[in-house]
Amino acid sequence: MEALGVALKSALRALVERGWVESGQTFYAQLCLEEALVNAVDHGNERDPSKRVRIEISEEGDTCVIRVYDQGGGFSPSDIHLPELEQMNGRGICLIRYCMEAVAYDNETNCLEMRMRRNAACPKEG
Amino acid sequence: MSEGALVEFIERGAITVGEVHAGSVLDALNVSQFGQEVVTYVKQRQGVRLLLDFHRVEYLSSAVLTELLRINQTCKEVGGDLRLCALNDDIRKVFEITNLDKMFTIYGEHDDAILKYARALSIEAQEDAWSNVQRDA
Repeated sequence: MEALGVALKSALRALVERGWVESGQTFYAQLCLEEALVNAVDHGNERDPSKRVRIEISEEGDTCVIRVYDQGGGFSPSDIHLPELEQMNGRGICLIRYCMEAVAYDNETNCLEMRMRRNAACPKEG
Repeated sequence: MSEGALVEFIERGAITVGEVHAGSVLDALNVSQFGQEVVTYVKQRQGVRLLLDFHRVEYLSSAVLTELLRINQTCKEVGGDLRLCALNDDIRKVFEITNLDKMFTIYGEHDDAILKYARALSIEAQEDAWSNVQRDA
């Protein structure tokens, strides 16, 4: 979990330094990064310390692409729906879907891909 | 409040306020400690009426929502209940996105929350007394 904290801080710093997120307005970017990393460690790698999680941040035109790779069995974000109120888990991917422009999981590369525009990691209205 | 604790409990009449002092961030790194502190406190207090005050918290993730559901369950097990107050706009939005604003009673600022919670308890007590009168009649 400490390694996750270091990775999260470093990824968030990169987003701020590259101008994708304004300093002081990092809430939703931080939320999506944390949810993606926790998902990769807990559900992807099933907390196996021998498995690794990798995060990549790149630019495609005016879009920032954040890729989080795990070494797990894969899943499809579109199959995950908001859980019943009293259900304990399952809200992380739903939060990412609300806050990012696009989210997808590639089962071949075990990669969760999140796309956001500059300063646009925020909840969709409606 | 013990050193290193994330939550300070203060009794305000029938209500216990749990002020969250988490260095502004509640996330996957400190969420277990947060949950454990609150659950340990609740388990020792039958019928606790707990108001968790988040005015110092600037950020939280879904791991905290899971922990709040556990705390809520523990409160119910001891015949008490859990309410929340002083969430900033971003945190409140997280509750709305996940529909958990429908699960928890969420108040505004601390003082207003205490007043409203106390009023709700008073109405609850009157309703209980009225049901008892009707049952005994």
